[in-house]
Amino acid sequence: MALKQVQTTCPYCGAGCQIMFTVDADANKIVEAVPAPGRTNDGTLCLKGHYGWDYLNDPQILTKRLRKPMIRKGGKRSPLEEVSWEEAISYVAKKLSEIKEKYGPDSIMGTGSARGAGNEANYLMQKFMRATIGTNNVDHCARI
Amino acid sequence: MSMGIPEVEDAGCLLCFGYNGADSHPIVARRIVRGRQKGMKIICVDPRVTETARISDIHLQLKGGSNLALVNAMAHVIWEEGLTDDRFIQEHTKGYDEFLKVIEKYTPEYAEPITHIPADMIRQAARMYATTKPAMILYGMGVCQFSQAVDVVKGLANLALMTGNFGGPSMGIGPVRGQNNVQGACDMGALPNSYPGYQNVTVPEIREKFEKAWGVPLSDKVGCPITHVPHRILHEKDEKKRIHAYYIFGEDPAQSDPDLAEVREALDKCDFVVMQDIYMNKTGLYADVILPATAWGENEGVYTCADRGFQRFRKLIEPEGDLKPDWQIIAEISTAMGYPMNYKNTEEIWNEMIDLCPSFAGATYEKLEKYNGVQWPCRDKSMEDKGTPYLHKGGNFATADKKALFYGTDWHPPLEMENDEYPMSLSTVREVGHYSVRTMTGNCRMLRSLEDEPGWVQMNPDDCKRLNLEKGELVKILSKRGYCITRCLPTERVKPGATYMTYQWWIGACNELTLANLDPISNTPEYKYCACRVEKIEDQEWAERHVKELYDDIRVQMGIDTGKGAAS
Repeated sequence: MALKQVQTTCPYCGAGCQIMFTVDADANKIVEAVPAPGRTNDGTLCLKGHYGWDYLNDPQILTKRLRKPMIRKGGKRSPLEEVSWEEAISYVAKKLSEIKEKYGPDSIMGTGSARGAGNEANYLMQKFMRATIGTNNVDHCARI
Repeated sequence: MSMGIPEVEDAGCLLCFGYNGADSHPIVARRIVRGRQKGMKIICVDPRVTETARISDIHLQLKGGSNLALVNAMAHVIWEEGLTDDRFIQEHTKGYDEFLKVIEKYTPEYAEPITHIPADMIRQAARMYATTKPAMILYGMGVCQFSQAVDVVKGLANLALMTGNFGGPSMGIGPVRGQNNVQGACDMGALPNSYPGYQNVTVPEIREKFEKAWGVPLSDKVGCPITHVPHRILHEKDEKKRIHAYYIFGEDPAQSDPDLAEVREALDKCDFVVMQDIYMNKTGLYADVILPATAWGENEGVYTCADRGFQRFRKLIEPEGDLKPDWQIIAEISTAMGYPMNYKNTEEIWNEMIDLCPSFAGATYEKLEKYNGVQWPCRDKSMEDKGTPYLHKGGNFATADKKALFYGTDWHPPLEMENDEYPMSLSTVREVGHYSVRTMTGNCRMLRSLEDEPGWVQMNPDDCKRLNLEKGELVKILSKRGYCITRCLPTERVKPGATYMTYQWWIGACNELTLANLDPISNTPEYKYCACRVEKIEDQEWAERHVKELYDDIRVQMGIDTGKGAAS
């Protein structure tokens, strides 16, 4: 069992706690989470910091982890069908281009994400909406 | 937050306003407890007896929706009793005289019938805040989720300005941001009016800078706020302004947004909905395309915590399945649309971003690694610039003349008040074990064991008695917009006539009831106030069965094999 230690930032509230994880690299599983001496948490964690990583094990409790791109090929309410990334990307690109062509860039809305994705993904999302689509229609859940 | 989280415990006085740290940020709440142990005075303003209220010197248990009346009355007392820092007002602010004209009428006696707080208690609180240095204000959604929200934020800033509580450690005002990276999403310009680094899209020189960097012309029109989307899909007459496509990235509006019936109708009518997420959720039921992303733990980058702290997050395990990091999915769609985005890793994206944002320019990955994070502003790339623990040092504000502006407004009540048909009020709140729409915490075995469907409605025992309700009994709660079933939780922590629910439950979904009435500036909905009615369900056996069936049905829709066969 190859154990490694990785420090990271908690994915829950805005307190920005630092957590030290022990990971079994062979099994690709987290073994343990303990508080790290971060600036804000100062070596403490709450219950979400201690136990909030189990969703990575996809325990099939509430909802299913998404593992493959999917498209509803028969329109709204038709079943989702698994597709390749190539198909999913080109389908989204084609549909967005068509809508932009037909109704203009302000007919498309995009969101950022205040959760796990991180700053870099949010930067790219707003750049995508502004530079690729051509609209400032981008917002996220800060106001909700 | 104008201050850093570690500074909380060293304040002389904490005015904790509409902020329930014990449930929303336990680690910040721990700083409040530690401050108390060091002798910090605490004034807690909350309609509920929160944990902070229990250790406070003064608890102002105000009537929901009366925030600004209380804040203005506190300002009135500070002015009338001469507790102001006149030198600070003179040297570092503008607009004080105009502000005084607004607060003149807000005597504590004027505010008493609005806030339901005795005038003398308002006086005591104002004196304690004004005379105990340094004084800090922390606020939360109990300020922001009203249709009069920005006015109250400015009102709290007025209190800090009047008393000279800006410019040093352990003072100022702090909105304690909810999600791990809500500060970051704002920092990165996932906002309809600003590019990354709070640079306004309507300022020509700024727009030209981004046009040059990105090599394309950019729109000079402020975009659509997220809370306008249902209206812009359902009711916009102009085809070019109507939203025809909605690319939803890491959010679940069909659970988290107000008036869910309207949200569902909008998602259903929208021509093309793309959802990019880690777990199936309610929004996914309306998505035309689902793009599976790597989750926290499987990817890396930078988050910004509530006190402007940039910190790295790192990969713990390898993703399983056909997943891509969010940034890569977006880049590939962009490239396929003819605007190539080629980045090798998150650091390349980060470097492009900081070079466009003067306030973030010095926050290199190297520094984030070496210093274990950096609080912005951090303007210089040299290793000496380690960032900024607190803002407005020496009373210098981020305005052209470095002066802060007083801003006074009159109080107005929430839009939907209690009435004959809906005689109680409903406010949405948080609980400690579950997070946001709970696709993460609800899928953690330990956390899920704490609480499960259909959640609770907190009610005063007198109301429970009047309605003949026992603890744990299933009840129906209704508003003009919809209803849901949840369990009754009698608690002395809440006042008669008021109810409180958390928003993560599918069956006890309080957003079926909430109202999309928005603050005119922030466009934040009035989640903290709408009129409701609680009804007893006579046949509890039926209700228990019904809740279980509903739960199983939704789990099947979410792809879980419940033994009855999973749906696609």
